[in-house]
Amino acid sequence: MSEASETIARQIVESTAKCGITTIASLPDGWITDLITAYARDNRFRHLAVNREEAAIGFCSGAYLGGLGAMALMGASGFLTCIYALTKINYTYQIPILIGITLRGRPGDSAKFHQSNGLYLDSIIQAIDMPFIPIERREDIPKIGVAYAHSRTMTRPVVVGFTRELLRGQA
Amino acid sequence: MMHFEDCFRLLHERLKTELIVTSAGNTSELWWEISRETERVFYLEASMSLASLFAAGIALGNPEKTIVAFNGDGAFNMNPGMLFAERQLDLPNLKHFMVSNRCYGSTNELTMPFSHSIDYAGMARAAGLLRVYSLTSLDELDRQLDDIIKVPGHTFTVLNVEPLGRHAVSPPLDGPEVKFRFGRYLERNGGRRIFDTPLP
Repeated sequence: MSEASETIARQIVESTAKCGITTIASLPDGWITDLITAYARDNRFRHLAVNREEAAIGFCSGAYLGGLGAMALMGASGFLTCIYALTKINYTYQIPILIGITLRGRPGDSAKFHQSNGLYLDSIIQAIDMPFIPIERREDIPKIGVAYAHSRTMTRPVVVGFTRELLRGQA
Repeated sequence: MMHFEDCFRLLHERLKTELIVTSAGNTSELWWEISRETERVFYLEASMSLASLFAAGIALGNPEKTIVAFNGDGAFNMNPGMLFAERQLDLPNLKHFMVSNRCYGSTNELTMPFSHSIDYAGMARAAGLLRVYSLTSLDELDRQLDDIIKVPGHTFTVLNVEPLGRHAVSPPLDGPEVKFRFGRYLERNGGRRIFDTPLP
């Protein structure tokens, strides 16, 4: 973990704690391993490492009915595997959760196997009418709280997307 | 094998104070048919393997309440990794019942071709779960139910039942009504506040 990425991870964790989130369910993407580690080490949070991304959606949705603030944290590809769970559980029952994803496939991401996310991620999020808030610079980090509050107001999931540059502490 | 309906009737007779989360298809339909309950039950139809993890979230926020989750074996086979997450959480108030009828009960009981060769209890033990039960008779269920439910500790119980053999009706509740009835019930009965706006 570089000092810059550690600082950013700490700021994201603080912003999450400040808005009342106490439960994190995650499955790793290479860009957010530092962030996941930060949550797992912080005793303000109960962190669950899930076996697949849909499990994070199910668990966090239940946590809402347990009276707990929750965030599901995953990569962009994992998010795309969750469309069924989100539209069935969260849309059918109107259950809010916050979802944090990586914005894979944007220009600058050299991983060829993530380019499909650059092509389709935005349009798929729009197709299911899910509010999306990009977190691209450190000044954007407080928007995590805005996104969480908005999810509760509209009783639906809201997704925040982290860029590589932000997570590396370069933006 | 147990008769599916008799099994659920016994469970309904004995589980009077627990919170219940049912899965897609037969478990939701049969619990509704027998109980007509609309408050302490979350009918998570269209759950597709996530009922026990959904119940785990509720259990985490309500450590003083016992949460009973029902999954079918069709759902279980979609996501057997649920066992690893449940093992990691190790919630003492989460009681997971997996109903094995070896068919897809919600879709005309189409046979699951691979189901006869699977040892579900063995899978759970191999995943590290400590309290695993596999029950094939009502007598067994009757005798073991207190141990499963009342002794603190996460449990995974396979209920081996015959296919229902008929269509049952879904609970006549829209999703938001299920959410609000269940959530307000919890708020009234000692649970944490769930909704931003309390009822007067």
